[in-house]
Amino acid sequence: MDRDEKDNSCHCRGITRRQFLHGVGAGAVVVTAAAHIGAREAKANEVLPAGELAKIALKINGRRHVLLVEPRTTLLTVLRDGLGLTASKAGCERGECGACTVLIDDVPRYACLTLAVEAQGVAITTLEGLMRGEELGPVQQAFVENDAFQCGYCTPGQIVAVEGLLRAVPEPTFDQIRVGVSGNLCRCGAYVNIFAAAKSAAALRKKG
Amino acid sequence: MADKDYYTEGVPLPETPPPGADPAPWGKTNAIGARHTRVDAYERVSGTAVYPSDIILPDMLYGAILRSPHPRARVKKVDAAKATAMPGVRAVLTADDPLARNILWPWSSKLSKPLFDATCRFEGEAVAAVAAESAALAHDALRAIVVDYEILPPMVEFEKALDAGAPEVQEGGNVANTVAYARGDVAKGFAEADAAVEETFRTACEIHTPLEPHGCVARWDGDSLVLWESTQGVYNIQSRVAEVLGLPLSRVRVIGHYVGGGFGSKLQASKHTIIAALLAKKAAQPVKLFLTREETLLAVGNRPPTLMTLKAAAKKDGTLTALQFTARGSGGAYPAGGVGSLDWLVKDLYLCPNVKSDMTDVFINAGPARAFRAPGHPPGSWALEQTMDLLAEKLGMDPVDLRLKNIPTVSQGREGSPPYTSTGLRECIVRGAEEFGWREARRRAEETRSGPVRRGVGMGAGLWIAGGGGPPSTVVIKLFADGSVNLNMGASDIGTGTKTVMAMVVAEELGAKPEYIQIEHADTGTTQFATGSGGSKTVPTESPAVRAAAIEVKRQLLALAAEELKAPVEALELRGGEIVDKREPGKKTRLAALEKLKKRGVIVGVGYRGPNPEGKIVNPFSAQFCEVEADLRTGEVRVVRFLGTNDSGRVMNRTTFDNQVHGGITMGIGFALTEERILDAGQTGKMCNRNWHDYQVPTALDVPPEIVSSPIDAPDPQANTTGAKGVGEPATIPTAGAVANAVAHATGVRLRETPITPVALNRALAGWKE
Amino acid sequence: MLPNFSYVQARDVQEAVRLLGAEGARVHAGGTDLLGCLRDGVFGATTVVSISGIDALAGIREGAGGSLRIGALTRIAAVAASPVVRERYPALAQAADSVGSPQLRNQGTIGGNLCQKPRCWYYRGEFDCLRKGGGMCFAAAGRNAGHCILGGSDCFMVHPSDTAPALVVFEASVRISGPRGERTVPVEEFHVRPAKDPQRETVLEPGEVVTGIEIPAPHAGCRSSYRKVRTRQSWDFALAGVALALWIEGGKIARARVALSGAAPVPWRSKEAEEVLTGAAAVPEIARKAGAAAVESARPLAQNEYKVRLFKGLIATEIGKALAGG
Repeated sequence: MDRDEKDNSCHCRGITRRQFLHGVGAGAVVVTAAAHIGAREAKANEVLPAGELAKIALKINGRRHVLLVEPRTTLLTVLRDGLGLTASKAGCERGECGACTVLIDDVPRYACLTLAVEAQGVAITTLEGLMRGEELGPVQQAFVENDAFQCGYCTPGQIVAVEGLLRAVPEPTFDQIRVGVSGNLCRCGAYVNIFAAAKSAAALRKKG
Repeated sequence: MADKDYYTEGVPLPETPPPGADPAPWGKTNAIGARHTRVDAYERVSGTAVYPSDIILPDMLYGAILRSPHPRARVKKVDAAKATAMPGVRAVLTADDPLARNILWPWSSKLSKPLFDATCRFEGEAVAAVAAESAALAHDALRAIVVDYEILPPMVEFEKALDAGAPEVQEGGNVANTVAYARGDVAKGFAEADAAVEETFRTACEIHTPLEPHGCVARWDGDSLVLWESTQGVYNIQSRVAEVLGLPLSRVRVIGHYVGGGFGSKLQASKHTIIAALLAKKAAQPVKLFLTREETLLAVGNRPPTLMTLKAAAKKDGTLTALQFTARGSGGAYPAGGVGSLDWLVKDLYLCPNVKSDMTDVFINAGPARAFRAPGHPPGSWALEQTMDLLAEKLGMDPVDLRLKNIPTVSQGREGSPPYTSTGLRECIVRGAEEFGWREARRRAEETRSGPVRRGVGMGAGLWIAGGGGPPSTVVIKLFADGSVNLNMGASDIGTGTKTVMAMVVAEELGAKPEYIQIEHADTGTTQFATGSGGSKTVPTESPAVRAAAIEVKRQLLALAAEELKAPVEALELRGGEIVDKREPGKKTRLAALEKLKKRGVIVGVGYRGPNPEGKIVNPFSAQFCEVEADLRTGEVRVVRFLGTNDSGRVMNRTTFDNQVHGGITMGIGFALTEERILDAGQTGKMCNRNWHDYQVPTALDVPPEIVSSPIDAPDPQANTTGAKGVGEPATIPTAGAVANAVAHATGVRLRETPITPVALNRALAGWKE
Repeated sequence: MLPNFSYVQARDVQEAVRLLGAEGARVHAGGTDLLGCLRDGVFGATTVVSISGIDALAGIREGAGGSLRIGALTRIAAVAASPVVRERYPALAQAADSVGSPQLRNQGTIGGNLCQKPRCWYYRGEFDCLRKGGGMCFAAAGRNAGHCILGGSDCFMVHPSDTAPALVVFEASVRISGPRGERTVPVEEFHVRPAKDPQRETVLEPGEVVTGIEIPAPHAGCRSSYRKVRTRQSWDFALAGVALALWIEGGKIARARVALSGAAPVPWRSKEAEEVLTGAAAVPEIARKAGAAAVESARPLAQNEYKVRLFKGLIATEIGKALAGG
């Protein structure tokens, strides 16, 4: 397929994540542009054909995004490749590591196992959504103070998992903390400090 | 912002040595040795850190590699017509493509093969590649490539690799290397012993699997290549890529600001980088090529599996008289150090005059090995530490006492037995035993013998063959006119906290606050030269170079101030943020107020890593103690607690130091209890567990709730000008052996093979009755 | 990476049944197992039929006579956290708690947990195995430490579900809707042994979908539990698992139900253990006897003989706890 004969889709462009985010605004973002755009709205009962783009709306970190996705596009791909929200990481894309953990209606879930078309009508929160402007949220702050990371790649998922835990159980026991992050691998082995960070985050959150 | 915010006000700084003289070791320190938050903590916890896998460039394509599904096969035909025609596919590369057909990949200094080799020697060998508008499309295209393989019978069991009739992995047979060593006379040593033990041990192949998969983004700017690579060493990648593609180094720029883990698997370049570059050239668009998790389990390195026999003998007072070690290992299908350093601990750790070692490295049709956190050492320790415990048992000695009886002060494994600049081995063991409450814990554990749930304690000691660092390294520090500082260094921070330690060195020498130090690093185009971050050598290599650069800045600053203040340079001293005239202590001049500095714009100090002390060895030491609980009814083992002591010279940043110890112990627990590559031996030879579901790395629920790190923290002034040694590797060397010893103590059964899963323990307890 | 598929959301069960009757249609409940299978190429999907939007299929409701109805789309986490499940059917709550990881429990459904595909690494890997329509079972003479010691023939997988054995000991049933209407099948009969058909895991016919689980009220005084032994304490499936339900009256075990995970290609009700337990005095020695009975007819493979010892020990331990704890 000749470059010049590209279809009329808008590609994701951006050099840095921040620049990219500024560029997107509320416009439609195409995640893949392999076939023609069907521009169907994803209504129940209507078949979304394979390889064709369907229009969906996702609520991410409080903002509504209208997107064109294939049925097979995962929420993780939308976040990272489509919207430049690269805090959620791809570690395995099979639900076996937790690096892609996001909150869906406050509950920790793997974005890699969530189809974008399945993520409509729910509130999606990523690590970026835990920031208060450019200020760190309490869980993030606790991770800093407790050195709860090394290479940092599992860290977004860990923080979101802890945030989800604390939303459900504001004062977890030590065992509840360990279980709360048991779906997040850390190959660098920073678990022990992660436990401490979660405990301290509970206290920080209480202070507000 | 006032310049005084950039400095710890007025803090006295170390003396600036005259030109040509080495600086004196730090005395009481202000910044170094304390606990310091990482300078990039914000970026890592906010998600603003851009890892190579996060990079999105305009017009970027996604690459993917088609790999041989067979461990041993010949590629007869590749038909990529359908893939090439697919919408969204922008480039396809096969072996005969003009861009690829003359590219040779150097598997070792002596063995090079084509990039897309028609002979596939392991499951995961690269056969073809595509670039497409999305990763999903790229993988669709891979599935559309039809390859005609001649499937050949594989050799995947390293124990059988030298049997008659074994399939040949490499032309010329399956012996990759043999290594022999001897000192003294082991026969005599065994003859004069009062007790001897001999056991055979086996360790499984372990795979690094850092959280960020391997990969890169490749972009051509005309004839220059820019690579954002997930790597531990940008210069390592640069040199290999330049060599393979035949480019001058000045036309290959590798940027690696963040990396999501490596553990040794990202110290060297991989084929994916070359492939990404070729795809980018063919498509005339940047290409992002990151491996899938499954590919990282097949094709980017592992820790060789080993089979070891160790015979050890001692006098009745515990003095070792002989150690005899034989071993076989496999570095996979290509030369990759299958027995590298496997016997090092046997040769060097415990005092023994008579030592013999014979090792054979064999090829098998499996992914080639790569250095994995202390190559050879954890497996060697698995055998040695268990053997020491067996010997202690036979002699009726406490395991700690047996170690303490055999502490060397020189490096016996090296020619001429050179002394160590410092060895804290004894102190690590003594301090660790005391803080752990070893004797009491041992006694209490023995009281649990009556029931089916039993406690056990175990220990191990270790040293790491490297960890002293050394040249080359170049660091540049720039002092801006307002007194703020820029630090420019080539080293990657792979998660160990390198940037923070180096900022603390600048803080110590200049009084500059780490949070106001601008750090540029890990970019072959713009930052200075450093070797890869690995081998526990980064802190001891880079911190002296940073110190030297800071001292250079101070020399120039004082000379400039002397001119401006019309004072003799010996009368001036630098304190945090200000120049003080020693003759009139009240007379202070802020750096930012120096007119000559404003006019000059910057002061640039270049520091080089000087040589290591002649004739002496700089190695770090460690000892670890653990307590486990074993349920004899079900074969389950739970690690209850762990303590690690380390002699790594001066502890530079206690925060990141302790985290390394936690991490090393966690990794060692995986080696001991959960990790094992499993190949479909006797059938297809394919890997059975090439995902994180079946290749099991420890989760939060598999580590003890608490891991104690208690370093000796004794600066080593002979080692280098900061007195520090590395810690990343010593933190994981004795772990698995300590666990095995604890399990043996708890159950009365010795597990000689890793990992000790409930499968293994049930098998071993088969004869046990309640 | 996922291959291409069409996607449709069913608005209600009838629609789901109709859509699932098409060739190549696969159901998406929580999606956790479906996506993994599609990524590994275990099967293909022409159309993914999502039932996740059918609200009527989620939720836990009291039924007649103290029974409980759990909608097929109820998340595993919700089952684990449900006060009525924790109180009345502890084994089920414990089983649900042990599934996967927290995120998987938040996404996966109980219907999906029963219908999930095997975790045999040959089945999931690039091996053209018998269950997928190929020529041989690679586990039979291959790396089979994780495979079955009971009920194997032609195929030697173990059933991966934790909730299924717990549902078996509570004599639960599966409610199914299909083209020919509704039917109810005891959980104990829901899974298909390889001897009968090595290519099917469940009795579901094309177009059929699980709509819910019905658990009868437990007889009074039930003591139940579920525990599995595994290499890691998160994510891992059972090397060996046991669901127990015991009723003790007057110092004797009036009734017993024992079901195993990690033992057989289907959730394995151990009638042998139940026989030993039923009517026996509720004393510790009976636990060991029951454990031994459970594996009496075991036929281990070359690498999983250890499971015999493991099941003996696990079953005995759990029965012992139940007798002591109550």
